[in-house]
Amino acid sequence: MEIVRYREDVWGREVLLGVSWDLLWLVIAASFILIMVHAAVMLARKSGPRPSPDGERLSRHAALDRWFHWITAASFFVLLATGVLPIVGVKFPWLTIHWVAGIVLTAAIVFHIVRSLFWKDLASVWIKPSDLAELTGGSAVPLPGKYSLAQKGMHMAMAVLVLIAVGTGIALLAQIDTPWWARSNFLSEAALGWMFLLHGLSTLALIGFAALHLYFTARPEKQFYLRSMVTGWVSRSELAAHHDPARWTPDAVASGDTTVEAPSALGADAR
Amino acid sequence: MSAYDVMPDIELYQPATVEDATELAARLKGKAWLLAGGQDTYGWLKDRAKTTEAMIDLKGIDALKGIREIPGGVEIGALTTLTEITRHPLIGERYSLLREAAAVVASPQIRNMGTLGGNLCQDTRCWYYRRGLSCYRAGGNICYADSPAGMNREHALFGASRCVAVSPSDTATALSALEATMIVTSRRGSREVPVDDFFVGPDVDIVNMTALADDEVLASVRLPDHWANADFHFEKVADRNVWDFALVSIAAALRMRDGRIESARFVCGGVACVPYRLPAVEQAVVGKPRSESTGEQAARLASRGAEPLNHNQFKAPLMENLVRRALRGKA
Repeated sequence: MEIVRYREDVWGREVLLGVSWDLLWLVIAASFILIMVHAAVMLARKSGPRPSPDGERLSRHAALDRWFHWITAASFFVLLATGVLPIVGVKFPWLTIHWVAGIVLTAAIVFHIVRSLFWKDLASVWIKPSDLAELTGGSAVPLPGKYSLAQKGMHMAMAVLVLIAVGTGIALLAQIDTPWWARSNFLSEAALGWMFLLHGLSTLALIGFAALHLYFTARPEKQFYLRSMVTGWVSRSELAAHHDPARWTPDAVASGDTTVEAPSALGADAR
Repeated sequence: MSAYDVMPDIELYQPATVEDATELAARLKGKAWLLAGGQDTYGWLKDRAKTTEAMIDLKGIDALKGIREIPGGVEIGALTTLTEITRHPLIGERYSLLREAAAVVASPQIRNMGTLGGNLCQDTRCWYYRRGLSCYRAGGNICYADSPAGMNREHALFGASRCVAVSPSDTATALSALEATMIVTSRRGSREVPVDDFFVGPDVDIVNMTALADDEVLASVRLPDHWANADFHFEKVADRNVWDFALVSIAAALRMRDGRIESARFVCGGVACVPYRLPAVEQAVVGKPRSESTGEQAARLASRGAEPLNHNQFKAPLMENLVRRALRGKA
């Protein structure tokens, strides 16, 4: 199995083309095995009663953050479909859809970075040395704040990979014609090969992480996180079962309000 | 790049039936080269710009040869030579557009050997690609023709998605105007592919020019009665009168009623990766007489949407003039 695709040009020089798409099947297989093993372990493990969703509702995700999440998810899956389906043999005019979705993703990422830097509590998602205690497991481990170590790790990995994919994607976008510019040809063939390699590698890694993200979202004991990403709230019981109220003290959602709105235009920090 | 006098070592298969050919194509999927008349094939292989492990020589399959009348039209076997097409009375009487297109392909010697299927499935003539550079069409990441220093006089005005190569086939242009149907066969069975779907642009598939899968064989082409004995016009503009590819060509089929155009199909070759339909021209001429003034009005629409490269701007007025001449009618 190759990791990188090369092609010998007419002068006998090796030209780097990008990642080998054989790795796609490896990533899919590895993700599948990992998910199956985890599911089997969780099945064997006795699960306790699940906390009730009833009672007081606490704000976990502001409306703006939820919109960001779902726009990012939609553009991500459009990018994935338009990027990967032609590789596996499904032929359609994919390129325009791909770069338009890429621009949507880039805009969403820029919005999220600006909002996170100036209006949100960036530290809540940053991995601290104290979080590493979660690695040991067991009942003595303190409950996490707003995000667990696994969630922070997933966010960090996805952030790095998406930034690589977006950065290389922008460079590649400059190489094609769009309504706003003609292709620039500013990258050498070797540099283009590196761009395609990094774009492909980050995409493959994102496929793996997205599979894990979807799996954990669908797990019964984690579904309240999915609900909170739709409606914005978690219950007091869910907070107590999964988080340390001393490390994360969310605001209560107003009675009768089924969704959490941003308190002010960009000031929706849910702490 | 060196050119070689001898062929590289290739495993040669010579099936005698379509079933054997499709079985081989399925077994050697992606590793075999389908050989018809060989007029495009041998250059690639001798130049070592493309290689193949195996070759399936289709020329021994009689079922893929010949021209026959079928209910609803005429069927031409994919291995029918271009010379046979130019001389066959059915084609001459009913579909003279195809006869005229086949008659201007390359040279008499090439037409004697070259087949309809080969002419339709031949690869583009972009010299960067044919020289073996790792361009988009060769699976690479760059288009040398559409670069600041790229020589792109022969390249596309329309539908270029990264790759700007054009279809070199003269018969494809005529068959598009005639609304032909391609019969594609494989071990999985046969399927009918409308001509407009048979040729694919780089936006859909940047490394292939047709919708043929690795295990499929173009078996025949069917011409519908719909356009039989219509008024036709075919014209090819090239740097040389023989043995050259079209800079721009036009194939027009016009159905007349009471001196006016009832329906029409206009297709240009040499301006896109696929035979390029001119729907705006087709709509504009319906209900009008075939005349100089209709030609003047419709010609303006021909090159609408063209995106010329550095060296092929001349193709836009050339297209317009060819539409003008197609509508001028018989002298």
